[in-house]
Amino acid sequence: MLLRRLITVSVLTAFIVLTSYTITVLNVLGELPPRSLRPLAFWFLNTSFTPWLNYFSAMAPETVTAILWDYRGLDTLFETAVFYFAIIASIALFRGIEEKHGGGYVGLSKIVRVVSRVLIPVNIVVAASIAIHGTITPGGGFQAGSAMAVAPLILIIVFSRFFLKEKGLSKNLLIALRGAGLVGVGVASILALALGLLSGGYAFIFQNQPKEAAPIGLPPDVLGFPAGTLLIFNLFEFIAVFAGFTIIFILLSIPEDVAREALHGKH
Amino acid sequence: MASINLYMFTFSIVVISLIVNLAISLYGVLVKLNIVKKIISLTILGDSANTFAILVGYRATYPVSPPVQVNVPPSPSDVLHLTELSVDPLPQALVLTAIVIGLAINVFLIFLAIQTYRLYGTLNMREIAGIKGGQHE
Repeated sequence: MLLRRLITVSVLTAFIVLTSYTITVLNVLGELPPRSLRPLAFWFLNTSFTPWLNYFSAMAPETVTAILWDYRGLDTLFETAVFYFAIIASIALFRGIEEKHGGGYVGLSKIVRVVSRVLIPVNIVVAASIAIHGTITPGGGFQAGSAMAVAPLILIIVFSRFFLKEKGLSKNLLIALRGAGLVGVGVASILALALGLLSGGYAFIFQNQPKEAAPIGLPPDVLGFPAGTLLIFNLFEFIAVFAGFTIIFILLSIPEDVAREALHGKH
Repeated sequence: MASINLYMFTFSIVVISLIVNLAISLYGVLVKLNIVKKIISLTILGDSANTFAILVGYRATYPVSPPVQVNVPPSPSDVLHLTELSVDPLPQALVLTAIVIGLAINVFLIFLAIQTYRLYGTLNMREIAGIKGGQHE
């Protein structure tokens, strides 16, 4: 036992010392932090919002959003699909576990409820602003969806786990919303392609702005607000992530005795 | 010069502490028997790797700015100014993707762990291995 612990500690110490030495002294990852930009980063920063280079630009002041939904859009589509399938798999694991409202009040006190009623609209406004401003300030669909999911979490804790269902936000509706978000992202990714096919021109999937060989694209701004496909992606991702997190919170709020009863039967 | 050395020294301490974090989380994932502890270690491992990626994308200049163009619409000099000051945006975008995928994996693992506990009454890997058909041997 002692020998085993000694070996574990030695291996961990060797890992820490060797990795630290190779990274900080031998500089195997290059100079850290680098003084100048890498060529790829230079390209992204130089083209993310340059109206005079319209065949290269994503027309978004926020370079990270431009990379996520324009330069590496397919990556993000598959990423959101992975999240979707993880939620579907979790629902499948918890299938058959449902709780009926036993009657009576199960929420927290009036003070907490009043404070929550004040805070939840603020939460929703902040989340919506993060989603809509995703193309111009740090933020975007995922961050906004995560922020928005705090509202149902508070509702579940403060007003009880039946409250969302009573207000019409059932698990099935949320699954439909999650699916609609993913479908919306998928449709937005082929929007330029569909426009191209309809107009008889060329276009690509995940095309945001016109390209030299495919001069079809979404309007770069709406009333002076940077848009393109990025705004559509952010809005659908916002809905999808919000619905996904809410499903998770609803499933996690099922009491243990109810779940055990469903799994093992009443006895 | 002294300030640069102090800067590099501080940066090295951050890098080393992240490597220590990685080592501790690897220890948790590989050695700990409790599934919840493994999941916690896995989240620490993912977060340490993500922080490290962000750190690699940082830049040793002063002042340093986020990769966001603040002048809309920009002029060519604004874009040049951004490239002179901004950090690397690519690690931030990759980390955002990694966070979402990590979250998806963690969600599924947590649900698996909960269901395992409900079925076997334990989260210890050795004890689960000794249970066959829901009964202890």
